Amino acid sequence: MHVFRAMGSPCQLQVYAADRTQSQAALSVAQAEIERLEAKYSLFRETSLLCRINRAAGGGAQRVDAETAGLLDFVAQAHRHSGGLFDPTAGVLREVWDFRLGRKPQPAAVTALLARIGWDRVRWQSPRLTLPAGMSLDFGGFVKEYAADAAAAQLRLAGFDQGLLNLGGDLAVLGPHPDGQPWQVGVRHPRRVQTAVAQVAMAQGALASSGDYERCFEEAGQRYCHILNPLTGWPVHGYAAVSVVAPQCLVAGVASTVAMLMAPDQARIWLEEAGLAFLCISAEGDLSGRLAPGPETR
Amino acid sequence: MVATKPRQGGVAAPGRLALQALSSAALALPAYAATPPPEPRVDYHAFRYREAPLPRRVSAGAQRGRFAVDGHKLAGSLPLGSSFALNADLTVETMSGASPWFITPGASGQPIQVMSGATIDDARQDLLLALTNYRRGHSLSGSLGVSEEDDYRALNLGFELGVEPQGKQYSYGFGLGYSADKLFPTDGGSAAYPDRISQADKRQWAAHAELTQVLTRQSVVRLGLVWQDKAGYLSDPYKRVFVQDSTVPDARPERRRVLAVLVNWRRYLQRAAAALHLDYRGTRDDWKVQTHSLEARWIQALGARWSLSSGLRYYTQSQAAFYAPYFAQLPVSGQVSSDYRLSPFGAMSLSAQLETRRGAWDLGLGLEHYDASAQLALGGVHVANPALLRYQLFNLRVGYRFE
Repeated sequence: MHVFRAMGSPCQLQVYAADRTQSQAALSVAQAEIERLEAKYSLFRETSLLCRINRAAGGGAQRVDAETAGLLDFVAQAHRHSGGLFDPTAGVLREVWDFRLGRKPQPAAVTALLARIGWDRVRWQSPRLTLPAGMSLDFGGFVKEYAADAAAAQLRLAGFDQGLLNLGGDLAVLGPHPDGQPWQVGVRHPRRVQTAVAQVAMAQGALASSGDYERCFEEAGQRYCHILNPLTGWPVHGYAAVSVVAPQCLVAGVASTVAMLMAPDQARIWLEEAGLAFLCISAEGDLSGRLAPGPETR
Repeated sequence: MVATKPRQGGVAAPGRLALQALSSAALALPAYAATPPPEPRVDYHAFRYREAPLPRRVSAGAQRGRFAVDGHKLAGSLPLGSSFALNADLTVETMSGASPWFITPGASGQPIQVMSGATIDDARQDLLLALTNYRRGHSLSGSLGVSEEDDYRALNLGFELGVEPQGKQYSYGFGLGYSADKLFPTDGGSAAYPDRISQADKRQWAAHAELTQVLTRQSVVRLGLVWQDKAGYLSDPYKRVFVQDSTVPDARPERRRVLAVLVNWRRYLQRAAAALHLDYRGTRDDWKVQTHSLEARWIQALGARWSLSSGLRYYTQSQAAFYAPYFAQLPVSGQVSSDYRLSPFGAMSLSAQLETRRGAWDLGLGLEHYDASAQLALGGVHVANPALLRYQLFNLRVGYRFE
């Protein structure tokens, strides 16, 4: 097993390879693809394509490459089908929400920012993007999931089709163990980080999770977590964590994020209708969904 | 708790619709569209084909047993470097049995099939080599094939281009094929068969285009168009036709142009862990034969390693312009045939295939039962050809993927 850091998260790659050289090669393949996407879409690198796109906001239409166009098409679908809950323009909220300092912003400051949020204000006609002045795109909500898929695809192209790639909790299965057995994947508890609340057997596909366990603070007994509703600019008080299994990590990731932003009942119905396997963990620690362990295994 | 006035948001789409939209948008991304060369693998197929004997009331001659074929095929796929793959198929078949010779009018005018007196014993060897170049977004392949029997030799060439545009929900492909065949019929021109040709040629050009469109994550439709232009000796040198009160060699036009349309629809049913395939194929040609074939296939996953596929196919065709069971007089064109394959008929076929995967091994076992009859033809048939087929096909497949 290789352990490495990428996209600001601890990552793991488990792959069946003929020897050490092969497994090192697999690691380089995965890292190269993740690094490529980080260099392209990170907001923390001045030279990234996404930073350049954001700097050009207000300056008319920009032509984007095929991969970015594909992601924006995906974003457009996700925005539309989530009723606007999934929105890549909501990143500007970080100007007032600082989860590291744990400071609650002034409501007026949040309201002022809402004018600069809304995918529906962006003009997207593939491959031309027109970003209004003051607005910016943030792929942070899905680029890690996409990187997991893309790195898995590169690994498969290189012939590694038995393994598991974990990018900070976003998992893509390359293929089952050589004997055909699925991987046993643990879904961790939102508050007790070292505890797995459920086990999922996966021979293929991907698993992504969203939760309020990452960047959060409490003030006056109220928990504020980094998952912000783009329609209000405020954190949500739905599930504590949602994990979703889907053929692509990108889809699983968006589904789990959108479910976090919905009211719990609505989220469960939405996921069930989608026919996805999921696990919802409420703030009280109750589990629901098809991935929840049955009474005999709990 | 929130002092902000919520911005107006839409209503979230129902989960199922949302998932389909997201999945198909995701699948259009380049990371999911790269076309890898296939992994190295070897497949062995064995098959056993048996035609049922004709009923006594519609046949005459020493032989009633029809064709039997046993075949073995070895197929290998080998990646060469990161973007090429070589495919090789070797097929060996042994054939034996009698075949329909000509049809004679019975006492009350009903057609009686006369079977060929001698049984045919033949063997066919077939080798096909294909080299494919895989690139991001497209593949290009060239193929060369040779086929040889005691009385037949064929050479064929093919080119194929497949394109999967990045960021699109569709892919398309084109192909072009050419084949040159030589026939050396057994006993051609001999004392026993003085009017059987001893040598002949035929050539065929074929072109096809296809478009595959992803409809949703669960469903895909493929549309195809095939054009074939055959020229040369297209008759069957072993068949004769009853005209007036004697028989003449089977004589067909020296050119046949066929247009085929294909529509394949695939739907994956996640809840049932199954897939439904609906396939239509229709052809029409300048021999005035029109065919329609409709197949429904249900593929059911049984646990993680087994799958069972069962299919039902219906087929119907109209007759060729120069076909009749027998002729009262020779038409002016001189073109006559009483081959059951050019007669009007319909057919039903039932098939089942059980597959399992064990580590690097794939195993499959299949059975098909096919039954043709005039009653099944669309539009009704005046006089049924007595030699319509009934057959059973068994197959066994063993595949191994190299790691």
